[in-house]
Amino acid sequence: MTLLALALLIPWVSGVILVVLDGRRRWVATLAIVALVATLGCLVAVAATAPDGRVSFTTGNWPRGVGITFQADALGLLFAILSVGTLTAAATHEVLDGVREPEFPGIVVLLAAGLSGVFLTADLFNFYVFFELALVASYVLAVYGRTPRALGAGLVFTAVNVVGTFVFLLSVASVYRVTGTLDMGAIGARMASADPNASILIAVGFFVAFGVKLGLFPFHFWLPTVYTGSRPAVAAILSGSVANIGAYGLLRFGGQLLPRELELAAGALIVIGTASIVYGAVLAVSRRTASEMLAYSAIGQVGYVLVAIGIGGPLGFGAAILYAAVNALNKTLLFLTTRIQGPLVGAAFVIGALSVAGVPPAAGFVGKLELFQAVHQNPALVALFVVGAVLSLVYAFQIYQYDHWRRMPADVPSTRRERAVPVALAAVVLAVGLWPEPLLAFSQAAAAALVGP
Amino acid sequence: MNFLFALAAAALFGTGAYLLLSRDLVRMVIGVVVVSQAAVLTLMASAIVRGVAAIYPLPGEPISDPLSQAMALTAIVIGMAVTALLLALVLRVTLAFRSRALDELADSEAERDLRLERRHASTQDSEEAAAR
Repeated sequence: MTLLALALLIPWVSGVILVVLDGRRRWVATLAIVALVATLGCLVAVAATAPDGRVSFTTGNWPRGVGITFQADALGLLFAILSVGTLTAAATHEVLDGVREPEFPGIVVLLAAGLSGVFLTADLFNFYVFFELALVASYVLAVYGRTPRALGAGLVFTAVNVVGTFVFLLSVASVYRVTGTLDMGAIGARMASADPNASILIAVGFFVAFGVKLGLFPFHFWLPTVYTGSRPAVAAILSGSVANIGAYGLLRFGGQLLPRELELAAGALIVIGTASIVYGAVLAVSRRTASEMLAYSAIGQVGYVLVAIGIGGPLGFGAAILYAAVNALNKTLLFLTTRIQGPLVGAAFVIGALSVAGVPPAAGFVGKLELFQAVHQNPALVALFVVGAVLSLVYAFQIYQYDHWRRMPADVPSTRRERAVPVALAAVVLAVGLWPEPLLAFSQAAAAALVGP
Repeated sequence: MNFLFALAAAALFGTGAYLLLSRDLVRMVIGVVVVSQAAVLTLMASAIVRGVAAIYPLPGEPISDPLSQAMALTAIVIGMAVTALLLALVLRVTLAFRSRALDELADSEAERDLRLERRHASTQDSEEAAAR
């Protein structure tokens, strides 16, 4: 319980202090990394002490249902550890490379506070507050670097996501109107007796809000501009940690809060996911720069998650959770390799590319395996996944050939400090692929927590 | 009462959405503000229709749920902060591009993309020539 509170308080308090200090100074940036690592440590400790989750506390010692409840179950913990982990990696990369703006370290720590709050809260309105905290931090990050290009991208990102969060708030208000509670544990049961017209509208609102966050096919329009316009570390943060809110939200709200509506919409989700996969893969093949390819690839990869959620059940949810986790790792790794060169960078890129395509021994293989297990009864979906995997192999290695096989006259190998984090992340992706048992068990526990008894 | 609130929220959302789609950046920000008001109104309406405001409850009269008023307050504060951030962003973009019309922004983006494409094509050509 104390650990759970610390996981929220450490980044919150240190973020508020760090954001007013000049982050270009080395000690400030180092402190931010220390705060992030401490947060990560708390989250891992919570997961270690309660492997099946279910640690909770209510603020101000109010009874549950009156005070604001925080609760850590396997699903929330998995996403929290993953998101803060990738955030720490991307921030470390940027700090080693040299921070460009004074507010960067503080904003990243505040983003960690928002993310762990979103994943660990059991109160619907509190979810909205932390959702906004995480998003406001990411709006500031999107303009990081202050080039005209990043500014344009940041404006698009902010405008689209602000509207997305207000749609989310509308749905939160409607849930309160219909069920009279904000406790996420109780909403699922009370939604059963709600008017179907209202509950379907609520579900659509949540789907739009999280679909915008994830960059699913009809809501993807902002994504390529933002991911190509921002710096590699920021693109890695946006795709590796902030986008996790979308996957988590779809799983939590679809699987736990609105299970009947999810079942009803399963066909539609699979169709939208398929459209995402095809659209993302085909456009990624036609791109020539690494960041553009990765942006479209991100649209395609979240399609797999949506299809798995549409299939549902412990198997489908388990596959969706695992694939979302592996995808976040891949995207962080690949975005960080985009503007560096030198020994081992090509190897790191190849491991990321193999992981995206789902080739052993990279982590992506485990994700694809689970997906195939979830869809094996449906030949059309199996065929779609195979085509998607082949296309991702094509687009990834096309970029590899273009960026790493040629020797540009002006090429200067990046320093060891710039190369450290991507290479370490590549080792992590490889390790997860070679020894997938912990992640597999964790994601199955998370799926079990979602489906419930 | 219920219908009136629904109508008002819908009208606000519609107005906001229309403004959001306009090409002027300041109008876009105003659109965001109006959409946020639609959300706040829905929050308040979700409880106020059940009775009078809970500020001075009289015995025997139904009172509305004060929790959603508290939530509306939080939402207003968050909305204000986000609006301030958006306005600051619009100011920066206006200074950087010397324009606050979206189509001019898009034009300069397209121009830059074209330049990038040309540079890529020329490096590729020169490489192919070198390989021959």
